Amino acid sequence: MIHYLFYFLSFLAIFSALMVVLVKNPVHSVLYLIVTLFSIAGHYVLLNAQFLAAVHVIVYAGAIMVLFLFVLMLLNLNVETESHKSSWLKFMAVLSGGLFLLVLTASVKGSEKIHGVISGGSETGMIKTLGNTLFGEFMLPFEISSLLFLIAMVGAVMLGKKETQ
Amino acid sequence: MEPIIIVSLLGVTALLSEMFGFKKVLLPLLILGMAAALCFNQSHWGVNTSYYHDMLLVNNYSVAFSSLLIVVAGIWLVFSGPYFTEIAFRADRAAIIMFSLTGALVMISFSNLVMLFLGIEILSISMYILAGSNKKDPASNEAALKYLLMGAFATAFLLFGITLVYGVTGTFSLAGIADHVMSGRQQLPALMHTGILLMMVGMAFKVAAVPFHFWAPDVYEGAPNEVTSFMMTIVKTAAMGAFFRLFSTCFAAAGGTWPLILSVISALTILTGNIIALYQQNVKRMLAYSSIAHAGYLLMAVVAMNQHSAGALLFYLAAYAAATLPAFAVLSALAANGEGTGTEAFRGLAKRNPLYAFAMAVSLLSLAGIPPAAGFFAKYYLFVAAFQSHYIWLAITGVAGSLAGVYYYFRIITAMYISRGSRDETPIHASLPVRVMLLIVIAATVILGIFPGLLADYF
Repeated sequence: MIHYLFYFLSFLAIFSALMVVLVKNPVHSVLYLIVTLFSIAGHYVLLNAQFLAAVHVIVYAGAIMVLFLFVLMLLNLNVETESHKSSWLKFMAVLSGGLFLLVLTASVKGSEKIHGVISGGSETGMIKTLGNTLFGEFMLPFEISSLLFLIAMVGAVMLGKKETQ
Repeated sequence: MEPIIIVSLLGVTALLSEMFGFKKVLLPLLILGMAAALCFNQSHWGVNTSYYHDMLLVNNYSVAFSSLLIVVAGIWLVFSGPYFTEIAFRADRAAIIMFSLTGALVMISFSNLVMLFLGIEILSISMYILAGSNKKDPASNEAALKYLLMGAFATAFLLFGITLVYGVTGTFSLAGIADHVMSGRQQLPALMHTGILLMMVGMAFKVAAVPFHFWAPDVYEGAPNEVTSFMMTIVKTAAMGAFFRLFSTCFAAAGGTWPLILSVISALTILTGNIIALYQQNVKRMLAYSSIAHAGYLLMAVVAMNQHSAGALLFYLAAYAAATLPAFAVLSALAANGEGTGTEAFRGLAKRNPLYAFAMAVSLLSLAGIPPAAGFFAKYYLFVAAFQSHYIWLAITGVAGSLAGVYYYFRIITAMYISRGSRDETPIHASLPVRVMLLIVIAATVILGIFPGLLADYF
């Protein structure tokens, strides 16, 4: 049963991710991106990471996608745009992308032998476990990432504020 | 650990200075704080300490590179006073510089891939912002956007690589990955090699090595002069230090194809950077391409991967920083004078400001690798390291690239000393701290060129 769910979610994620790139209308792209993010959240649930799934939906599908849509609407970008690239460039892009796909598929093949099947306990993705890891082993990265956000904020203010003489 | 805490607190201090009105003394305060960080850093020499569940590992390697970063940042601050004081005082710029230095320090002393990623992101995001800090200039805006897009792309590669390596080894810790590589050397799965290559691509993007260098010339040219100088020295030092630390502790024993691929990247970088630099008329863009070529030389240390590599890398980065900082100090002074950054701005500079011309000449000689400047021994050590690891063709490529480099560096020197100043010959004034610091840095270049053992035998 859970296998079929996994295959369904994977198909949905890959299909909608492809559609994000293939559709011409930017608004449709964003909507497909939301589908992708939801199916990835479904994968998190399958892996027993409920908290991560919830955060993923709230932050990405909720906040960031709304921002995307707002920007598209405000800048009036919801017209079909056709980018003009030379056919040489397209050919090289397809070639390198295809080779990359080949390398990745080849390297994933046979990787199931590496660890065998690891089944996480039902507690794996709970907030308590997550908190213990975050404030135990990963405390320093957790604190350092606050610096990252501080820079992003200072930078946003700096680039956004009006120059005063 | 203490330098990281001190430098990040200095960033917070810079933010507070706007609020509490001690902006006037901020730059001296920052330099004092960095001196303290340097002292704390040096006190860790010879002792290996790991912090917080093995997230950071401070050893001789990280102490040496952190000291280099702090010293270079201090010199940069002295040269870049105008960047902070134009129009009004910009405490936010100072804060972002300090935070980015924190990121660089984290990148040097990481012992866990999570810390590597955070360090790279802290440094990169600061640079995206600073590249666009000249808001009125369209070139600066373009540089910021280009850097952001390409940097995000590179980060995706790096993350993908980290994920695959984690999938194989089950750990983010460098020691754990190294154990896994050592124990299972014969049967490392293909996934591991793909992960290593993807991480290599990500890091090569960050150091602007050749197939991944397309962002670099535009970003280096478009960003404000002082920021370009910062990117060429601090960012390059941190990225190369992290690259070497990652590959020497984890992946050196993994074998596979990465040394071959990286040696080709290194040779391509040296040749492309030097050859395109030949055709540049704008000195800033010429220095950008030469910086790409220097990234190629630096990669030789990672390719060679023997006991001399780390010392050669440290020496090269120090010599490169000591040459780039004065060159950009002169370039910024000319640009601030409204003369642009073309070769014609340098014409007859020897008459207008002999110190500037002399500093520029010594820097260019060092970049070209001509004794007695430090650049000669920097290149020599790298070539020897490559030779000892049997990459003879790579060393020969390096020598050929340097020969091409001599031509375009000398073009500026002849413009300064031999060409007549076709335009006004009004002298250019330099402030006292800049003059003193220029003399100190030139002296360092020459002293390192005569007694290279001072730094090269540091390890």
